[in-house]
Amino acid sequence: MWRYLFKRFLLMFPTLLGVAVVVFLLIRIIPGDVVELRMAGDRGAVSEEILQQERTRFGLDRPVWEQFLTWMAGVVRLDFGTSMWTGAPIWEEIRLRFALSLQVAVMATTVAVLLAIPLGVIAALKQDTWVDYAVRIFSIAGLATPSFWLGIVFILVLLVVFKWLPPMVYTPFWVDPWQNLQQLIWPALAVGYRYSAVATRMTRSAMLEVLREDYIRTARAKGLWQKLILWRHAIKNAMLPVMAVVAVEFAFLIGGLVVTEQVFNLNGLGLLFVQAVAHRDYTLIQALVMLVSGVFIVVNFALDIMYAWLDPRIRYR
Amino acid sequence: MGTLLSVEGLVTQFITSSGVVRAVDGVTWDVEEGETVALVGESGCGKSVSALSIMRLVAEPAGRIVAGRILFKGRDLLQLSEEGMRRVRGREIGMVFQEPMTSLNPVLTIGRQLTEGLEIHLGMSPTDARARAVELLGLVGIPDAARRLRQYPHQFSGGMRQRMVIAMALACEPSLVLADEPTTALDVTIQAQILELMKSLSRRLGVAMLIITHNLGVVARYADRVNVMYAGRIIERASARELYAHPRHPYTLGLLRSVPRLDEPIRARLDPIEGQPPDLTRLPRGCAFVPRCAFRTDRCIVERPDLRPLNGAEHVAACWEVERVAVGGCPKVAMA
Ligand SMILES: Nc1ncnc2c1ncn2[C@@H]1O[C@H](COP(=O)(O)OP(=O)(O)O)[C@@H](O)[C@H]1O
Ligand SMILES: [Mg+2]
Repeated sequence: MWRYLFKRFLLMFPTLLGVAVVVFLLIRIIPGDVVELRMAGDRGAVSEEILQQERTRFGLDRPVWEQFLTWMAGVVRLDFGTSMWTGAPIWEEIRLRFALSLQVAVMATTVAVLLAIPLGVIAALKQDTWVDYAVRIFSIAGLATPSFWLGIVFILVLLVVFKWLPPMVYTPFWVDPWQNLQQLIWPALAVGYRYSAVATRMTRSAMLEVLREDYIRTARAKGLWQKLILWRHAIKNAMLPVMAVVAVEFAFLIGGLVVTEQVFNLNGLGLLFVQAVAHRDYTLIQALVMLVSGVFIVVNFALDIMYAWLDPRIRYR
Repeated sequence: MGTLLSVEGLVTQFITSSGVVRAVDGVTWDVEEGETVALVGESGCGKSVSALSIMRLVAEPAGRIVAGRILFKGRDLLQLSEEGMRRVRGREIGMVFQEPMTSLNPVLTIGRQLTEGLEIHLGMSPTDARARAVELLGLVGIPDAARRLRQYPHQFSGGMRQRMVIAMALACEPSLVLADEPTTALDVTIQAQILELMKSLSRRLGVAMLIITHNLGVVARYADRVNVMYAGRIIERASARELYAHPRHPYTLGLLRSVPRLDEPIRARLDPIEGQPPDLTRLPRGCAFVPRCAFRTDRCIVERPDLRPLNGAEHVAACWEVERVAVGGCPKVAMA
């Protein structure tokens, strides 16, 4: 198992390098650059000379491979440089927003898993009864409801019915946990509902599949209690595909919540991403993509570890 | 010795989109204590469903036992509560399935899967159950048991897994083991080993066995009595010796001619029975074997023959033309 995990671990680095190359080249294909956009406010009053000067300042005049190597030299020291738009160090720009996005993702995952696993398991056990139908309606509704819309509903209900609005200014968890949770629980619920719908469907179908397996029939033929068959023989096998779905969703949440963040007035990574692209803020975009794909890759590695832990066929490879 | 299991008029059906599948259509047979009985027939004739019906593990809700009695040690299993039935499964009737590759749980150790029945049915402590598990693996010929118990199914070969499944079925010392094609998925050499093992264990432990197979060659050496099944019904029953010497149903005759033999390395030419088994949703009025039968007459098409005794009550066959079969039959396969 250690060899297997070590191999998966090493594989993370070429993957990240691949991401770096692709993002570096792709953003340079989008027309326009940060210099033009910054100067655009001056309505063409800026001379070509000044634009050139600015480009030289950012190193944009040098060959692409040289720019790339300079950037990579920083990246390996975890130095992502400064934002081309604001001039602030990238890490300063990202730090709080990353904490916020990560927290929302963790909370939404918790909500989703706590809902999905019991619901999915019960639906599978009571297949084609009203319980199953209720769960299926719950999860289809979850898939059909956009998270931002649900977020708006939450805010309206809190405001109109309870005459209360969640705090709108972000307080980090380490500053005031209570204030922080009051604020983030709502986006976490709004996002977690759709997320749990995806996971519920996966749990249900994985459970149904496992319950049809020969080894479940063997377990029944041994005269085990129904509960033991469920807990010992079925759940562990059914959790493998569910974990994969949860991992992908989790990684997506880190950078993908643009509209929901806007609804709750949260400065997360999603919004920052959109702004960075609009500004052609190359350094910031690069750093964000690296961060989000880094999370993705780490989550996948964690998934590999969990698979190995749950499934001996992988562990003893 | 008394009768251990007696299946009486069992009918098991599946409701499917293409109609009601009459998988087991009114069969009656029994197993004496300590005896080995074979249930033989082509694939799809209702052998597995018969065994699953006894365990009451027919896939619900599509499958249902519609009629009949299954008397086991005098009690009708079909009348037991679910909890009562659970106590019979694994404790009094063990089961060995066809596919050793899929019938063990891939994420649980061999030890766990072997001891859980002991803990539940016999109330053994984990330590006692473990000691018994070591003993059981020894019994089925798996060496190095202590280490093997910590392994997972994928670390076992097919033959070893089937030994393990047999150990599991025997764990609580049941009085009957239902073995559903226990060797079909295995290599020919391993098949013989497993069958020898089952035979010797059944002798030593006095366990009665139902061996389900589509291969009459298997039956010759290992069964005392044989039930031949076709399209959900028993069409012939006799002692293994009698059946081989004097098959009286054209279908049995065909089966004997198509037998691949375990003890014959260079195979004689096989004559599979021509034609297909009938659709179990649309069984004909007369004998279900008619379309494939070389002995058929007009009577066979309109009137279904029931099992009738021939030379003594021990040999029964469901055919109008038993006399002609007896004369015209010249099975190429002799008793092993
Ligand atoms: N779960 C099921 N649903 C519908 N039909 C089934 C099911 N299980 C078995 N059958 C049908 O019952 C018949 C007998 O099957 P089975 O007992 O498995 O045959 P075999 O003699 O090969 O063991 C077959 O025609 C099969 O199609
Ligand atoms: Mg079968």
